Amino acid sequence: MAIAEQARISAPRIRRWSGKAILYVVLAVISVAMITPFVWMVLTSLKTQPEIGAAHQALLPRHWVFHNYVDAFHAAPFLTYARNSLIIATSHTLINVVLASMAGYALARLRFRGSQLIFYSFVAALMIPTYTKILPEFLIVRFMPLAGGNNILGQGGTGWLDSWWALIIPGAVTPFSVFLFRQFYLDLPTELEEAARLDGMSEFGIYARIMTPLVKPAVATVALLTFESSWNNFLWPLLVTQRDNLRVIQVGLTVFQTENNTQWAFLMAGTTLATLPMVLLFLVGQRYFVQGFATVGIK
Amino acid sequence: MVAPAALHAVIWIGLPVIAAIWLSFTSYDVLTSPRFVGLRNFRDMLHDSVFKKAVGNTLIYAFFTVPVAMALGLLIALLLNAKIRGRVIFRTAIFLPQVTATIAVALVWLWIYEPRSGLFNTLLSGIGITGPAWLSSTRWAMPAVILVGIWQGIGLKMLIYLAALQNLPRELYEAAAVDGASRTRQFFSLTLPLLRPATFFVFVTSVIGAFQSFDQIYILTNGGPANATTMMTYEIYKSAFREFRMGYACAESLVLFVLLMLLTLTNRRLAGGGRGYR
Repeated sequence: MAIAEQARISAPRIRRWSGKAILYVVLAVISVAMITPFVWMVLTSLKTQPEIGAAHQALLPRHWVFHNYVDAFHAAPFLTYARNSLIIATSHTLINVVLASMAGYALARLRFRGSQLIFYSFVAALMIPTYTKILPEFLIVRFMPLAGGNNILGQGGTGWLDSWWALIIPGAVTPFSVFLFRQFYLDLPTELEEAARLDGMSEFGIYARIMTPLVKPAVATVALLTFESSWNNFLWPLLVTQRDNLRVIQVGLTVFQTENNTQWAFLMAGTTLATLPMVLLFLVGQRYFVQGFATVGIK
Repeated sequence: MVAPAALHAVIWIGLPVIAAIWLSFTSYDVLTSPRFVGLRNFRDMLHDSVFKKAVGNTLIYAFFTVPVAMALGLLIALLLNAKIRGRVIFRTAIFLPQVTATIAVALVWLWIYEPRSGLFNTLLSGIGITGPAWLSSTRWAMPAVILVGIWQGIGLKMLIYLAALQNLPRELYEAAAVDGASRTRQFFSLTLPLLRPATFFVFVTSVIGAFQSFDQIYILTNGGPANATTMMTYEIYKSAFREFRMGYACAESLVLFVLLMLLTLTNRRLAGGGRGYR
């Protein structure tokens, strides 16, 4: 009797346990498949050149050559490239957070003539694809008046090509960030703002000292997404720079690949350097990345 | 306070769009002044077999990457929505390809597809198969590029579906369970219909994203072999910066713009208009 009772209880429990086990196995298999390229990247970066060239190479390195990283950074200035990317991504992040939050705040909280028109212009700007903007943007940079030997009409020199200006200014503010900040500022209550205004605080003071501290999640989301897309950007820096000392990491990798197309260990050391900061950033700011990506929907 | 951002948008978005429209009616090689040619660029495009091939490839690429990545993304989201431990670890692993640079991961895939000692052919030779030269075969290059697109795209779809699943009303499921509906029945009669807005959002934004793929083509195939993997974005880049036909490239970019605009507008219309604009 007691045994029969026990059997009746444990049959569904066994089914539930085996269901859980299958679930974990399936998820583990998918996760491993997804990170295999990253694992292969790191393993390759630690192998010797002859080992990689062999027709039947083992999956794990026979000798773990950590020195590859030192050699790779001598073979190509990957660290300079990474430093350039860091400077650009940091500048983009700072400029975007400051200017987009100011614009978003004004559009959400201030009444002024033309604010509706400006808002809808930003929404329209969201829809312009990169590949439509990028050709004229290149021409504007090339013919920038009074820069890089250009005269007032933008003729005679190379404008902003091969300069920090070209790398930083055109992509510094994104309409998406203006849009996202506006949504966050709209949700704030009016009482704080009115109290500060009664105390005689300036409009800029209200924005900077009262309202912006209340939208920290928006600041974090915009900052992380801006840094990520700037660090990962490729086509724009490729178009506007030729000089090696201005190259960003993504462009530097492609140049190294075309010039030394069999040095996989060094190339994989470089790609590890190019991906690691984003992996770390994602682990730290996962919550904000998730929120931001769910809003944009596209990379 | 809106002035700096607005001025930036006027110079770097507004002006370029107007310039692109104007230049699309010109012949322009950057060195000499643009010359007005009317509709010639658009007429030329109709007879440009490579551009037509690129439009076809872009559609094929989107047609295969988007639905497969969506189905897998939904499946993984359903699995992760169960009461399990370590959800964050699984989610991180699956989302990582999305946050890492396409250039860097495409270089890794280039190495994986390497015919002699790449990972794929090494594994295949382990079971006695001699793998093809994936990226230089007209037959295998496109599937290889599509696989990379799926791999990189799953994470975002999974994420949006997971967020949508966690917002589904629990009461409906309790009621369905009381009525004796099976899990399968619940999925098809409740979950899928309730996820329709998310599905639509994911679909449209993913197609828009797929239409703008460039970096992986640049690294993996350069559009080859024999234009088998070239895309609209790659042709725009080639016309502008390899052939210096700026006017023609602008005309091509406007075709892409109009296609994406149509997709966005259908999104608005079908998603019930103005998602979140207040």
